[in-house]
Amino acid sequence: MATDTGMPILVVDDYKTMIRIIRNLLKQLGFEDVDEAADGKEALGKLKEKKYGLVISDWNMEPMTGYELLREVRADPDLAKTPFIMVTAESKTENVVAAKKAGVNNYIVKPFNAATLKNKIDSVFTPAA
Amino acid sequence: MGIPENTELENELRKIADYIVTLRREISVLQANEIHMRKIPAAGQELAAVVSSTEGATNEIMAIAEAVLSADASDPVAYKALVDKEMMALFESCAFQDLTGQRISRVVKTLEHIEARVSRFANYTGVEDQPGHANEQEADAAARREKLLLHGPSIADDGNTQPMIDRLLAALKSQ
Repeated sequence: MATDTGMPILVVDDYKTMIRIIRNLLKQLGFEDVDEAADGKEALGKLKEKKYGLVISDWNMEPMTGYELLREVRADPDLAKTPFIMVTAESKTENVVAAKKAGVNNYIVKPFNAATLKNKIDSVFTPAA
Repeated sequence: MGIPENTELENELRKIADYIVTLRREISVLQANEIHMRKIPAAGQELAAVVSSTEGATNEIMAIAEAVLSADASDPVAYKALVDKEMMALFESCAFQDLTGQRISRVVKTLEHIEARVSRFANYTGVEDQPGHANEQEADAAARREKLLLHGPSIADDGNTQPMIDRLLAALKSQ
């Protein structure tokens, strides 16, 4: 099953530049419906207002981190099934393990390229048999 | 009996006085005021300028890429002219690297300056590191970093690469 490029995506990052990079890469991959938030708290508000097909979030943000956002999303029955990809410079094993335990669908370490982003999005929606 | 005791006391006081004089000299060599008032603020300004110029250049480069990607390619001559113009702008945008390199070199020199003086002072006074934090704010920040696993970008082999993370996720999934 091909990934639905029409789904709304929420990109969460406190760096405008990174949001612009991800937005451009998503556009090249065919995703046009992209919203943005500057931290977990703002993202949580947007998630409660609109149904998103995917969240792409940074980890290290103030006041609410991406890790906290992930746990909030998984704890909310209305949001719990929203696919969630972490895109972060946090590359230590304990971060990956914690994110996986919290229910992350995929994990991308910065810096990354368009092929990696596409591959990780596709693997969320078309898991290997 | 009284004279030797006084001499001993006098010798001890002289040693303490000498130590204080030397300590004062070492503190003055430390140049704490110079570091606090001038060097640290200057380094902060240099780093802020680096952040600003790299962000500015990144935005310029992205704007160029966006302009080329969204350009109408139906007229090859006009399209070639636009690409040539945007590529020149791209070269110009990359000039930031020279300035940021110089700014970062100056910050590194400041850190080396501080490191040399603090090391010399620590060696002379024989002070040992104590665990803990300088104040409550510093302790709170450290506790938050630890609780939320905020390490920041890794250096060299300190973190995992994307293939390592992929293998780790696969292993965790199969558990």
